[in-house]
Amino acid sequence: MDTKKRYERPVITKHYSGFMNKIGTSSFSKPKKDIDGVAVTDLVEKFGSPLFVISEKKIRQNQRNAVRIFKTRYPKVQFAWSYKTNYLNAVCSVFHQENSWAEVVSEFEYDKARKLGIKGENIIFNGPDKSRNALLKAIKEKAKIHIDHFDELYEIIELCDTEKLKAKVAIRINMDVGVYPKWDRFGFNYENGESWQAIKRIITNKDLELIGLHTHIGTYMMSTEAYRLAASKLAGLARSIKEQFDIVLEYIDLGGGFASHNTLLGQYLPAEEVIPSIEQFADAISSGLFELNFKNDELPLLILETGRALIDDAGFLISSVLANKRLSDGKKALIIDAGVNILFTGFWYKHKITPAQDCGLHTEESAIFGPLCMNIDVVRESITLPLLKKGDKLIIEYVGAYDMTQWMQFITLRPNVVMIMEDGSVELIRKSETLDYISEMELLPLKLSLK
Amino acid sequence: MKLQTLLNESILMFIDSILYSYAQIFFSNRRWLGAIILFVTLLFPTVGLMGLLGVIIANITAAILKFDQSKIKSGFYGFNGILFGVAAGYYYELSFFMLMLIPVFLIITFFISAVLEHYLAVAFNLPGLSLPFIFSLYIFIIFLTNYSNIQVHHLNFPYDNIFASLPIFIKNYFKSLALIVFQPSVFAGILLSIGILIFSRVLFVLSIVSYSLSAILLTLILPVQAEQLAILVGFNAILTAFALGGVLILPSPKSFLLVLISTLIVVIFAGFFHRLLNGTLLPLLVLPFNFIVLFTIYSLKFRKEQSELELLYFAPGSPEENLYYHQNRKNRFDRFKYFFPELPFFGEWFVSQGFDGSYTHKDAWKYAWDFVVVDEKNSQFSNEGNQLTDYYCYKLPVSSPLDGKVVKVASSIPNNEVGDVNLDKNWGNTVIIDHGEGLFSAASHLDSDTIKLKENDYVLKGDVIGLCGNSGRSPYPHIHFQFQLTDKIGDKTYRFPFAHFIEKREDKLIARSFDYPDENSIVQNIVIHKTIKKAFGLRLGDKITLQCSINEKTFTEEWEVKVDIYNMLYIENNNHETAFIYLTDKVFYFSHYLGGKSSALYHFFLLAYQVPLCYHANLEWKDQYSLSQLTGTSIRYLTEFFLSFKNFIKAEGSFKYLERDEKSDSFIIDNKIELKGTGVLKSFKKTMSGQIKINGDGEIESFHFINANNSKFNATLTSNNGD
Repeated sequence: MDTKKRYERPVITKHYSGFMNKIGTSSFSKPKKDIDGVAVTDLVEKFGSPLFVISEKKIRQNQRNAVRIFKTRYPKVQFAWSYKTNYLNAVCSVFHQENSWAEVVSEFEYDKARKLGIKGENIIFNGPDKSRNALLKAIKEKAKIHIDHFDELYEIIELCDTEKLKAKVAIRINMDVGVYPKWDRFGFNYENGESWQAIKRIITNKDLELIGLHTHIGTYMMSTEAYRLAASKLAGLARSIKEQFDIVLEYIDLGGGFASHNTLLGQYLPAEEVIPSIEQFADAISSGLFELNFKNDELPLLILETGRALIDDAGFLISSVLANKRLSDGKKALIIDAGVNILFTGFWYKHKITPAQDCGLHTEESAIFGPLCMNIDVVRESITLPLLKKGDKLIIEYVGAYDMTQWMQFITLRPNVVMIMEDGSVELIRKSETLDYISEMELLPLKLSLK
Repeated sequence: MKLQTLLNESILMFIDSILYSYAQIFFSNRRWLGAIILFVTLLFPTVGLMGLLGVIIANITAAILKFDQSKIKSGFYGFNGILFGVAAGYYYELSFFMLMLIPVFLIITFFISAVLEHYLAVAFNLPGLSLPFIFSLYIFIIFLTNYSNIQVHHLNFPYDNIFASLPIFIKNYFKSLALIVFQPSVFAGILLSIGILIFSRVLFVLSIVSYSLSAILLTLILPVQAEQLAILVGFNAILTAFALGGVLILPSPKSFLLVLISTLIVVIFAGFFHRLLNGTLLPLLVLPFNFIVLFTIYSLKFRKEQSELELLYFAPGSPEENLYYHQNRKNRFDRFKYFFPELPFFGEWFVSQGFDGSYTHKDAWKYAWDFVVVDEKNSQFSNEGNQLTDYYCYKLPVSSPLDGKVVKVASSIPNNEVGDVNLDKNWGNTVIIDHGEGLFSAASHLDSDTIKLKENDYVLKGDVIGLCGNSGRSPYPHIHFQFQLTDKIGDKTYRFPFAHFIEKREDKLIARSFDYPDENSIVQNIVIHKTIKKAFGLRLGDKITLQCSINEKTFTEEWEVKVDIYNMLYIENNNHETAFIYLTDKVFYFSHYLGGKSSALYHFFLLAYQVPLCYHANLEWKDQYSLSQLTGTSIRYLTEFFLSFKNFIKAEGSFKYLERDEKSDSFIIDNKIELKGTGVLKSFKKTMSGQIKINGDGEIESFHFINANNSKFNATLTSNNGD
């Protein structure tokens, strides 16, 4: 019913002979004009551009799927939401409502989880940096502390002794599971016997109770076999602990690291075709754990700290075209209002980028740059897109993980974040920053004041 | 000091053994009823004193000879002594000679009762009743005929004159009751009938019905009429009714009918014995009662089906209490089986076909289940559902429901494409496990070439036996599961329940025991929660101290976990009150409680009546209470006049795990007990409620209970195993 056809600037396309098939291909996805039924134009009109959009429905769906997949393969499963992946209060709360615990790696994240109402015993405290104060708090609140190194272990022993406390702890273990580079900077190494030393050290201490083992073999893992190996090595350790010390561990934590459906830079095939499904990861882990041969009611709880795979596809970034340019080599370039300051994962991924309005059939190879006046602000070196003009909207997909935690306030301010609720309503969950907000922490020495 | 308490204890035991012996005469275990009967026998003092002498000698003899203390205390040996004593005092004038002779015969009575009770119990599993007393009394009477100077006398009860205006029919009722203790007096009968009324409405009704019927039948059948015979027949009828209508057989409409028939037989046998003993010196006494009760009970044991006219082997109290106890036990535990199977998978599954299903579970194969996995939208697959891998359940582990030995494995039948069926190999890849005692389970349509088990392998409950597949007559991936009685693939199904599982009904989670998952329901296993299991996994020797209060009154109570000779675990408190525990692998139960209704143990018994050893917020379950275990049911006493026909009040507990409190790390079990009337008492309703709090270390931290009368009970743990 359009009264006036959309104007599209002329384009010259070089012909390549011999490669066409008779059907032809469409090199970009169909326009995505809405997110969970809410029109992109309405969202931008109300909340501006750029704009992060999170789908509550998708988060819940992902979490429930993952729970179903693991619980039908292993009897006792608990998910812990990896805060660093996305610690917006609204996002964490959705996961907590779905019965996820919290997995934190700093005192800041720990306090954040406590403030959201998570009990100490439902917080897994990971990471190499836990201050004395944080450890004391965590011990008192019965959090599950995953010890990363001997110095931390000594500090806990000393704290328990001086403060007359008892602590429930687990240790993080790193191991060779055939994935390189090895992640051996976190936790105690399995192959060189350090982990066994740490286990013995904990068990022989009267104030400490060893309740679990933890490993996190890497991130964006594309091999399920690595998980089977990791699970089986931890199971072996748990069995040795049972045989030698008659201690039945409460849990085994396999960490996270399942790859999401984002394609890495430099990866040739699209992620959908090479990334194993969560089912395959779960199959590998459960088959590794069943090597435990524990009695049914002594089976340890399986804890998963899955982050990325549960949130990535629930996040969208709406962005507007600021300008079209032609570079010195004749290649087209597009400048958009979302740069690497808010799209940190642009350094890792070839995001799926989809136009948000109808467009013609012609496409053009172009680079996408962000709005920053910095050479590094490259959203994509090269992508095939239809012809866009100033003001047109693009949706950058799969941005739920890490972008809203690793983003930076640089050159410009960070935008609004909204959540599309299950019932289709839209809630603002983080307001765009203002100058006052940014300046709040700053102090100006009096003699420097211009006023 | 120690000697003093020891002495006190033995005096207490001595008095108890006397009172319980008296109470036994009316099949009761209430000391106060024993005291009333003792008082009644003393209305004619020489008779009463001889009875007292009887019980004392019997019990002392038993104690000196080291018979079982608890049996002595219960009055088991004493009551025949009482009967002999009162009979001797009733028939004969007391003289120095008699006073010398009676104790000797009391000892003889004791021996006869010890022998007879034991013999009847071992040879026929029958109670001895008052046969020992009859034997020894006959010996006594015949022995005394050696002497010519022994005086037989008749008793007069002058104070009975005030009841002269009562109709003879009513007077004879009271006299019949009182003749049981050889006091054929109206006054004595009135006292006894009040005692019986308070003890048991069922027995009271039975006494009136059986007496009235016997009186009517007597006039219809027996031509010889004498007041003495009417009373004798009446008292035999009453005793017979007590035994068959409530004490040895559970009260029910059928047992009531049995009482009516037995009354007729009592009249006939009274006539028979009356004639048989005619011309001898021997009195009729309780001969008809003993004879009829013993042969009726004995003959009932040979029935093929014992479900009606149930014989009581364990009788904790009055007929009412016995009935409540047995009904309750039946409601709660009758469906329990020797095996405790769990669902053969992990996580939540959907029952796509249940018993008598619409597709293939028919005829001999109707007791089977098909299980699949569904998502939130109730769909079994993602994408189009035209590939096996689209199905959520495809290649999920299938586990063994019980320990057992693998007896048959079919593992190389290929999976069908979606929509195809293999009618050649109907059952597809199948694992059959022998669980012992003739029970087998079969899981079918498993994935091809992934079964690692071989025949003769042993598996444990919960071990993975294969993966869900699509082999055999299976158009889409699912598990077909059935119990059967042989090791044959495709054998007919056997109806056998799963022990404990959780059903998701709308948004509710409901724990069910020994039940059958329904078609279209979503079910999962109970997965043990360490903290809950620690709290309820009471072990022998555990000691717990609690600080308690009822309203404003405070006290301390100590518990210890013990085990009895039947290997039943129980908790005993410092007042020797006990609560018996029944612990399965996944659920904690209290089976019954003996003691007062104000102890911490009593309230804990009510609150932790059934506890699944898992934790899900808002998990709900229900259980039935026995009325006699609850307070605040005075209306129940009225309904008990009709208890042989109908139980008018039901007591049900609704349990729930509350959502966990964010501030503390405790788990709370909430329980609401409702007493509800049925039929004419529909409007009757009483509620009591309470909660148990379990702390993060797996201890029962505290519990509280609000009774129907609004009294508040509170208990807090002060020490656990001496900590």
